[in-house]
Amino acid sequence: MKKQLFILFLCIIFLCFLFFPLIPEGNGAIVSDECVACHGLYPGMEKAILLGNILCVNCHTNSDRETIKILGGVRVPIVYNTAPPVRPLAGGNFHYVAKDFGDRKGHNVDGVTSADEKFRGVPPGYDRTSDPSAIGYTPEKTLKCAGSNGCHGNRNIEDPFESISGTHHADDTPKDGSTTAKSYRFLRNAGKVKGVLGLEDDEWNRNNSSKKHNEYSPSIDLLCASCHGDFHSKDKTGKARPWFRHPTDIVLPKSGEYANYNPDFLPLDMPDIRIYNPDAPVGRGKVPELPGGEVTLGEDIVICLSCHVAHSSPYASILRWDYDAIIAGEEGKGGCFICHTGKGE
Amino acid sequence: MSKKQIVDKKKYILCSNPPSPPFSKGGMGGLLLYALCYLLLATCFILFASSVDARVKGRCKDCHSMHYSYEGGEMTYGALAGPFPTLTEGGCLGCHGQAPYGTENIITIGKARIPQVLHHMENGDLAAGNFYYVADGYNPDYSKGHNLIGISLQENPPMDVPPGFMRSVVIPGGTGPADWPGQRQLTCAGTWGCHGDRTIEDPYKAIYGAHHTDDSEIDGLTVGKSYRFLYGIKGKEHKDWEYLATIDNHNGYKGDMAHSSMDTVSYLCGECHAKFHSHPNLGGIREVGQAYDTIWLRHPADISFDSIHSGYAGSEYQGYVRYSLEAPVAYSRPTGGEQVVDKDSIVMCLSCHRAHASPYPDMLRWDYNNMFVRNGLAGTGCLTCHTRKGHNQ
Repeated sequence: MKKQLFILFLCIIFLCFLFFPLIPEGNGAIVSDECVACHGLYPGMEKAILLGNILCVNCHTNSDRETIKILGGVRVPIVYNTAPPVRPLAGGNFHYVAKDFGDRKGHNVDGVTSADEKFRGVPPGYDRTSDPSAIGYTPEKTLKCAGSNGCHGNRNIEDPFESISGTHHADDTPKDGSTTAKSYRFLRNAGKVKGVLGLEDDEWNRNNSSKKHNEYSPSIDLLCASCHGDFHSKDKTGKARPWFRHPTDIVLPKSGEYANYNPDFLPLDMPDIRIYNPDAPVGRGKVPELPGGEVTLGEDIVICLSCHVAHSSPYASILRWDYDAIIAGEEGKGGCFICHTGKGE
Repeated sequence: MSKKQIVDKKKYILCSNPPSPPFSKGGMGGLLLYALCYLLLATCFILFASSVDARVKGRCKDCHSMHYSYEGGEMTYGALAGPFPTLTEGGCLGCHGQAPYGTENIITIGKARIPQVLHHMENGDLAAGNFYYVADGYNPDYSKGHNLIGISLQENPPMDVPPGFMRSVVIPGGTGPADWPGQRQLTCAGTWGCHGDRTIEDPYKAIYGAHHTDDSEIDGLTVGKSYRFLYGIKGKEHKDWEYLATIDNHNGYKGDMAHSSMDTVSYLCGECHAKFHSHPNLGGIREVGQAYDTIWLRHPADISFDSIHSGYAGSEYQGYVRYSLEAPVAYSRPTGGEQVVDKDSIVMCLSCHRAHASPYPDMLRWDYNNMFVRNGLAGTGCLTCHTRKGHNQ
């Protein structure tokens, strides 16, 4: 019996080696390869420490400027480069909020930097009723990568590691938001709210272009709103023009200045079609199976990430651009003017 | 100089052109170049003077806050609490009345120059006056200006309704309100205000986009291309809102000597104060009287000096010959540079009144209580036009 079990074990190991290399790198988030690469960073440490928030940060940190590193044969997206990043990924890079770069440039995640001095742990615009987490955000505790005080994982679970436990090794397709693993970038959210939907670029937007990029859905706005509810609630933003706060989760109009979205690349003879600009991305009502290079006016959607990145950016308010340098009336380009095309002229 | 050199020089003079003198020596080429430069410079001044683009320039953040949030807190502007429409930092008054006790009539933030309608700068009132005179908290006298919401409380009846109000008058884009309820206080823009499209009730919708419109041509076709965003009104905008204006550089007010068009600044006043304007859409002859008739029922507006009953020639109005900033006149095609007043110059509401508020009752440009027939100071107040009323004769 023991011999048979041993043979079975060897067969499993053999099959593992046979099939795992067939899983294409980056297509899907299933992590495979050398366990020790991730789990052996701190030999001898207590489990409680080993599985803390710091492990997320350390695995996804790089001491050089590269934003994708190879760890035990696995490509790991870097969210924090201690050296200035070459090409920050879609979520941005915590480099800009760490050290002395300033609280306003990113989320103050535990393990990267200390709590924000002005916010004192309270997410701006936090509205408990907009937070589907059974636990809710606890300002007295620090912002974590995952869990009820974080963004990733199941926000009904406080412990960041527990909230995301197993997802790196789970079947993550289809991205239907039914489980943490099957949620876009493991952003499960909580409660009755489904996980975030989206199409994951296999390089986390490192080499993005109008035709190669993440695809977002407005479900990501709900995740942002879990902690910044006032900026999403129709009661606070207004229900129509005039807006009281910049609207999100709203269709990019096909009229007015918005009809010229991405004005530097206006396609001819396609009145409602514009070219996707990764500097001001839009969400899709239905997530496409492949990244789309076009934006359909009157259909595609302005989302939080149209202006902001999720982790940290070189600019205040985690914006995709320097708001201080957006000058109206002087033929400026880019930034706000990608959508607000009439304001720059 | 040797003999040979003299000979060579004579030979040179006889046989070839001399070298051009330097500009500093005033050669013909230099003269022409200078003349050309001056010509170009003058052309630039003329062109720029006639196309002042008031479209807002500057950082978005100087006027807008995307989420009414900064450094973890809500943004307040003085006593104003938001959030504010169109993501503005304090609504209309957040920009245009941001320092009531301040001493700046035009505040510069970044590249944006923002005219202040409420300030405390001595001798700094802009063309429309200064709401300071009616602003609660600053010893207001409500008879001196419009009671704008956010600045003053509502007036008591009957002044809670615009004097001379008429129902459903024709206004650019549609009709005015069918009624003016007493509790309805004046707003900056919209149906219950002056600026923007008055067929739209919401003040911010009414003026939406105007600040970012290319308004180098004021044709009144859109709010942004209307004089001071007064929808449908034409005119020439002084770049400093008449601060330190001169008689050859001032606002150019559009008038209509036949009081029959809707693009004059007086018509705008008449949209609320209809009985004070002779246009047939408004009070008309019945309320104001008739040009060329002897008796006016109310002081006319949008009428030229040439239209008076006894004719311009020999009238007292001939005495008003040089543009007065104290009692300005309108023109059929204003340029803002008119210095001459003549028979075709047009009396308008703003000849006597300020639009926002003034130091004097009835928002007049002068103190009516100190206007005296005979012994009055010639060329001032009413006597600027009525030149013979002040004479001691």
